Amino acid sequence: MNQQDPALLEAAQQLVWALQAQQTEQIAPLIDRLNQLQEGSIYTQLSTLAQNLHQTLDELPDNTLLLQTKNDLPDATERLQSVIQILDEASHTTLTRLENSMALLSQLQSSPEIAAAHSSVLQDLRKELEAILSAQAYQDLTGQVLNRVIYVLSALEQSLMALIISAGHDYAAIPSRQLTPEQLKQGVGPNVTQASRQDALDNQADVDDLLSELGI
Amino acid sequence: MQINRDMNILVVDDFSTMRRIVKNLLKELGFSKFDEADDGSTAWPMIQTGKYDFIVSDWNMPEMTGIELLRRVRADAQLKDTPFLLITAEAKRSQILEAAQAGVDGYIVKPFTAATLNEKIQKIFERVAQRQQA
Repeated sequence: MNQQDPALLEAAQQLVWALQAQQTEQIAPLIDRLNQLQEGSIYTQLSTLAQNLHQTLDELPDNTLLLQTKNDLPDATERLQSVIQILDEASHTTLTRLENSMALLSQLQSSPEIAAAHSSVLQDLRKELEAILSAQAYQDLTGQVLNRVIYVLSALEQSLMALIISAGHDYAAIPSRQLTPEQLKQGVGPNVTQASRQDALDNQADVDDLLSELGI
Repeated sequence: MQINRDMNILVVDDFSTMRRIVKNLLKELGFSKFDEADDGSTAWPMIQTGKYDFIVSDWNMPEMTGIELLRRVRADAQLKDTPFLLITAEAKRSQILEAAQAGVDGYIVKPFTAATLNEKIQKIFERVAQRQQA
């Protein structure tokens, strides 16, 4: 609060004078006036803060926070969701193959001659397969952790978006990220987001077609 | 075509699980001599010893990328003909073009199957045999 505000000081002095002089009819309007002045000063300070925030957001190198909020946070969330999906699919592939293997093993064990000759090896093999089966529980555990992180990231994105908009930015006007040639050279990893699938080939067959065009 | 299954192979990937997968698939294909490196920067001095007949590398690694490793191999008079296979998640058209320009012999996108790996290795060594005859 600005203690040097002359209007506030003057109104306060008038109020003291009115109280001392017992000018009761002036007391209520002066208190109202004081309240108005104080509210005005809070609004001024808030608008200064908002203006500072707007400038600070603009002055960050490459509008970092704006770009991060609009592009990187949703990108991170989408990537984490794809991780859940990849883990889920991988786990199901393993489980399907395990079920097939266990059925094959049962066939072997149901043959009396084979069971008699290789009983302990077959039992050991079943134990190994069962251990692989239990190990697939990682999918549930990692999935729960990832869901939690996605929730936190989304909440953070919403809060930052509200902050940016309240600082007077046009959210829709914030540009999207473009990959630089240096980033492509370093490698950008699996193209698991919608944005990253642009210019990406879907599968080995498409890659092979391109390679054979290039004589490889 | 008969491929020499005794050749020395270097498997380069920063993920140890992927190195294990590649090694096991190569083992299933009848190969038996492998070394591993976890980055282009650790692979390069190993390759410079001249020990390896075949390099299988990832692209995206922390210190030195697979594409940089490929460029170094191709720029070295002694090593330049070493067959080089990239196994990578990088699948942008521009990246595949870049790998081709850098002289890659084969390009596999992850995830991949044993059949794809076998097919690429066959193709690479057929081409090597043709090159040696020419």
